[in-house]
Amino acid sequence: MSAPARDLVASEWRKVATTRIVWVLTAVAVVYSSVQAGTLVLIAAPGLMEGLAGTVLTDDLLAKPEYITAVLGQAGTASIFVLLLGVIAMTSEFRHMTITSTFLATPMRGRVLVAKMALFAGIGAGVAVVAFAGVLLTTTLALVPFDHAPITLEAAASVLAGAVVGLALMAILGVSVGSLITNQVAAIVTALVWVMLVEALVTLAFPAVGQWLPGGALNAAMAVALRADMSGGMSAADVLPPWGGILVLLAYAGVFAAIASRTTLRRDIT
Amino acid sequence: MTATTGPTIEVASLTKVFRRSVTAVKDLSFTVSPGRVTGFLGPNGSGKTTTLRCLLGLVRPTDGQALVDGRPYRDLPNPTGMVGAALEASGFHPGRTARNHLRVVAAAAGLPASRADEVLEAVGLTDAGRRRLVEYSLGMRQRLALATALLGDPGALILDEPANGLDPEGIAWLRSYLRARAAAGGTVLVSSHALSEMQQTVDDVVIINKGELVQAGTLSSLSTGERVVLRSPDEARLLPLLLREGSGVEADSRPDGSILVTGLSAAEVGHLAFSGGCELHELSTESDALERIFLDLTRGDA
Repeated sequence: MSAPARDLVASEWRKVATTRIVWVLTAVAVVYSSVQAGTLVLIAAPGLMEGLAGTVLTDDLLAKPEYITAVLGQAGTASIFVLLLGVIAMTSEFRHMTITSTFLATPMRGRVLVAKMALFAGIGAGVAVVAFAGVLLTTTLALVPFDHAPITLEAAASVLAGAVVGLALMAILGVSVGSLITNQVAAIVTALVWVMLVEALVTLAFPAVGQWLPGGALNAAMAVALRADMSGGMSAADVLPPWGGILVLLAYAGVFAAIASRTTLRRDIT
Repeated sequence: MTATTGPTIEVASLTKVFRRSVTAVKDLSFTVSPGRVTGFLGPNGSGKTTTLRCLLGLVRPTDGQALVDGRPYRDLPNPTGMVGAALEASGFHPGRTARNHLRVVAAAAGLPASRADEVLEAVGLTDAGRRRLVEYSLGMRQRLALATALLGDPGALILDEPANGLDPEGIAWLRSYLRARAAAGGTVLVSSHALSEMQQTVDDVVIINKGELVQAGTLSSLSTGERVVLRSPDEARLLPLLLREGSGVEADSRPDGSILVTGLSAAEVGHLAFSGGCELHELSTESDALERIFLDLTRGDA
């Protein structure tokens, strides 16, 4: 019924392109992930951290190819902003009541949800590409003064591919969360508390459980186990294979979207 | 503007009970015909907006049906081309320009982006089209809501309180626009809480109060007879002459010193005064009689 799916995605893109939030959060994501990568280079650099409490570096980390890969993997830290973008995309329709004209043009409400998810998969992938570019540039520059393992094309390509897939999935998840919790403030707070508090603590205490949570699944999807190992205490045994991570994230988004289309999205728009 | 005949709108035994058992609409039935402007009238909170939202698939009826061209809105093959709706002036993203708002909706409806400029011109917003909506006044938002409704060049227009926030010039413009739309064969359903606002616009009226139908019919069918206002220094002699004419005749003194007569035409009153030798200082018909009837019909007894 009504317009073809291509037109719906085009409409969703115009919604995004004609407000500022996507550009702002993308810029923040690039800066944030680049700073993370730069910081990882500097704290591993010989000499720089000497004298700081607890920083006795026995290994020359920068000489390890897997450490360099982990530094590039910081592109994945853009995921929180991508998640928020997805959440905001759906909840701002309810906040500004544009959902009325949206549902008038597309009375089959599930189609709106699917179109948003499709577009935001693309936006997540796009943010991954620019965040990776920022991280690659920062890492290359930060490594200049030091001896280090080379940045291989293979490592760069696998991190980029992982980030593209992971952030696309994260954006879809964000849209599904926003459709389930349509109050914008509540949805954003829930997403942040979950990522920064609940999931971080659970992963620290029970790594075996953490791998099944969205953040753990994201790490698996991006196949950057080392990053998780350094920041969250996960051992390699507690990380799903990449395809497993992708499936877990898709399952979360699918379940949230299915619940939303039977509950919140069926509600009267008054 | 197309000259094709608009769809018929039919509300059949519509009932809507919101959570906490608030009955907003109760067993409401009426039909809106193409080629006419139908006023959907009732006091604030009488269930007009709920009824319109049921018609547009935004609110799920508890019972009964609200149909456009015999189908629920969400089953229409091309909803935006069949029905254009302007529900309230608040459904805009403040950071977006009017033109971009229209382009968003145009895309979702499968319409070319150029329609945005065409409807901006139709409502006289061309010059303000590239301004962000946070700067828009209520009247401008009303015009933009109407422009949004016009995007698909629909056969039917459903407008919720479109005159709110419009200046007198805007109301006059809206009136002639809606009349032209109906004259071209379109279906026009327009809600208002004030009949006086709509009196010169509508052909038919549907009046509801507390969610229930009070009266539906042509505007002229509302009128129960002429109301005549007179002033006379010979009032004491004249009134018995008038009251003798029939049991349906009533005369009331009003605070301003005039007499309001119902049940007789102005010509009859004039004739009786003349033949009775009573001097008249004023003889006129009540111009806001319809508004009075409307208020009587919808007076709350709660």
